[in-house]
Amino acid sequence: MEEKRPLGEDFNASDSENAETTADNERLASNQKGWRPVNKMPPQVLRLFLLAFGIVVSYSIARYFLTPPSFRQYGWFRGEAITELQAREPVFAGKKACEECHSDEMAKLLKHEHKTLSCEGCHGPGQAHADNPDVKIGQQNYSPCVRCHEANPSRPKWHKQIVLKNHYTGSKCTECHVPHAPSEVP
Amino acid sequence: MTGEITNYVFEAMPHFEGYVYPNEATQQPLWSILIVLYPYITGLVAGAFIMASLVRVFNVRALEPVYRLSLLTAFAFLLCAPLPLLFHLGHPERCFEVMMTPHLTSPMAIFGFVYAWYLMAVLLLELWFDYRRDFVQWSARTSGLKSILYRLFTVGVTDVSAPAVKLDHKLGHILSIVGIPSAFLLHGYVGFIFGSVKANPWWGNVLMPIIFIMSAMVSGIALCVFNYMVLSWVRRKPIDMKCLDVMCMFLFYALVVDAAIEALDWIHRVYSAEEGFQVMQYMAREKLFYTLNLGQATLGTVVPFLLLGSQQLLRTRVPELTRRRMCFSSAVLILCGVLAMRWNVVIGGQLFSKSLRGVMSYKMEFAGLEGWFMGAVLFLLPFIVLTVMIKLFLSEQLPTSLSLEPKEGPAR
Amino acid sequence: MSLSRRSLIAKVGATLAGVLAAPVARTAKAAVQKILVSTGAARGYDPTKHKWVMAIDANRCIGCGLCAEACKKENHVPEGPYYRTWIERYIITKPRPGSGVARGETLVDCPEGGMHGFPEPTVPKEEIQHSFFVPKLCNLCEHSPCVQVCPVGATFDAPDGAVLIDPKYCIGCGFCIQACPYGCRFLNPVTKTAEKCTLCYHRITRGLKPACVEVCPTQSRVFGDLKNPVPDDPIQHFYENNKVQALKPHLGTEPRVFYAGIDKEVR
Repeated sequence: MEEKRPLGEDFNASDSENAETTADNERLASNQKGWRPVNKMPPQVLRLFLLAFGIVVSYSIARYFLTPPSFRQYGWFRGEAITELQAREPVFAGKKACEECHSDEMAKLLKHEHKTLSCEGCHGPGQAHADNPDVKIGQQNYSPCVRCHEANPSRPKWHKQIVLKNHYTGSKCTECHVPHAPSEVP
Repeated sequence: MTGEITNYVFEAMPHFEGYVYPNEATQQPLWSILIVLYPYITGLVAGAFIMASLVRVFNVRALEPVYRLSLLTAFAFLLCAPLPLLFHLGHPERCFEVMMTPHLTSPMAIFGFVYAWYLMAVLLLELWFDYRRDFVQWSARTSGLKSILYRLFTVGVTDVSAPAVKLDHKLGHILSIVGIPSAFLLHGYVGFIFGSVKANPWWGNVLMPIIFIMSAMVSGIALCVFNYMVLSWVRRKPIDMKCLDVMCMFLFYALVVDAAIEALDWIHRVYSAEEGFQVMQYMAREKLFYTLNLGQATLGTVVPFLLLGSQQLLRTRVPELTRRRMCFSSAVLILCGVLAMRWNVVIGGQLFSKSLRGVMSYKMEFAGLEGWFMGAVLFLLPFIVLTVMIKLFLSEQLPTSLSLEPKEGPAR
Repeated sequence: MSLSRRSLIAKVGATLAGVLAAPVARTAKAAVQKILVSTGAARGYDPTKHKWVMAIDANRCIGCGLCAEACKKENHVPEGPYYRTWIERYIITKPRPGSGVARGETLVDCPEGGMHGFPEPTVPKEEIQHSFFVPKLCNLCEHSPCVQVCPVGATFDAPDGAVLIDPKYCIGCGFCIQACPYGCRFLNPVTKTAEKCTLCYHRITRGLKPACVEVCPTQSRVFGDLKNPVPDDPIQHFYENNKVQALKPHLGTEPRVFYAGIDKEVR
């Protein structure tokens, strides 16, 4: 490219056509090659530089205001999220909660084979009942016994299973079995 | 594990066979037609920009007639690119979070910055440097709203003296050079989004970003061919055959590279036959038969390859009208073929289960945010935007300055 | 433009000073908030003092589905193909006589996540070589690919080992769901955010057990705190008494949920 002449001189060439003050002309004439005074920086570059600067500044301001306050408390996430996730209310109360009021049933359960079972597995979610005993504990709409004890080839061999139609055709398992004490008879 | 996908399903859900994880048994795949369109559109942007940079950076003077059209194409499509993403998000009102707290380990986090950079720093600036002198002149020649608009676009810089215009050219040249890696980044990160998902063997491989970039270039050049020919036809202007021939030459060679890399991906999968290969083969055969074999491979690659390749060999013997028809049909076929490729990658990856034991179907709805209709609207919208831009910036009534620096002084 | 150099530098300098003052102001604001306003964990629970983990003993699972059902109820998961945890049944059939292979085909099913138990298999009992149940859940990966790909920081590894999702911050892009190799994430159709097993975070931070562990009748799901072992800790027993497997180890996610008693067919 034939741009061996510094840009300043080109501007000089066109500036001399506009009536500039003598002082300006002298200042321009004393420019060294490559040095551009700011007030003679090409307007494209100046405007774009200011625009870019403005964009970066607005982005920084937006980021300052729009980043949630607890962000980066523990890592790259909102620290408050941990609190919010903890604040949900449980639906199942847990065996310990049942024991508080039903300790005699619990004592009986813990002596027999069903000691590992959770009360709510058969009786349904119980937190509402634990909070207010007048509320009936959640019902299940199936036979809890059959759900676990129906014979299925995929079940492990140590688990007690029955083929229902061969075992019993009555209506209630509790006629012959005590759920809290399976090895006893009613 | 044997190759059979004939596991029984207890509840016969009509839209999957074999075993799929329960969370995968949704009616629609998670990433739908909208996520097919987004890579397609950004690919067109990147490819059209590369077409323009062939003129500026590599000085392919024959392509000068399409320079501005390519840039405007890239611009129009880039403006419409975020729309499919916005419509797809579960919470589009939170989209700004990507720029406020970008998680730097995620390729998707780069979207806001790459898009903003490419839109503002590359495309808009390059367009501005190219058009600034015209804006100044046009604002003087027109009146009313158009005049105000052109004056606005000058951003107040109205110096059109020779040195200022020379500076415009120089800065535009620099931007074109910067724009090439930016275009690769704009579309390459999308390929990397898929390529980084190791959980999905259809997506997670190292060739994915390369395949995306190459097919983007092919589709972008094809789009420029298409737009140029349609615009010339609409305006009843003769087509510059030298320009068209050079465009089709680049299109052909880009297609060769793209087809080679896609073929390499396919050959490697078949040869190494890793764990998920059987289910993916089944899925590709059953669910992607038409889009893959017919759409992407035959119509999208082989036929244009033959049409364009024969032109390279026999250009002098083929009459101009036939060449024009071959170019146009190749461009249209390639555009459809690359769309089919995006479909095959995005939807195909979701049509088989991560359990590697089952396949799903995708029945697109017509209405709804992720249906046929919305897909068609989002696909056509950039063309409408482009039409508006052509009316404003490529108007036949307004004279334009040369895009490249006029040859003055000693030859380079 | 007729700005003098001096005034331009003054303007730029002032803006820079303003920008640099912002982080200082923010630090001050955060310090004040820390003292006066609790923006972190609830009082009494320090996530850095626990390390929760779950283990699965597939030898003990009877496929009753109480866990999947309890999870849906506990976490208000919408009806439909959305499961934070589920149980898969694997049936490995006997090979055809004379075929010269060790095993027949493997059949896997998961009717409604196993929530209502499993029906009789269609394969007759005599043709079954092995059959077992595998409960599945979030594998609590050490190098979670889901956390890696979240673009905004809505899903994260909590310091206490759980992998959680911030439903108020998630934008619903679905990248984490695609990135999870175990299929444990889904997009909640009501909240339109990603969702997954949180180890019943609201329960374990109150000293309760996750709902699935609570209702499991056979102690197939084993839960514990690696940083605070209890006497006769079931999780320590599990690690000491079992040879274990992790799912999809070749992906390098380093899952922390170990499985005892699963077969090579399990994916």
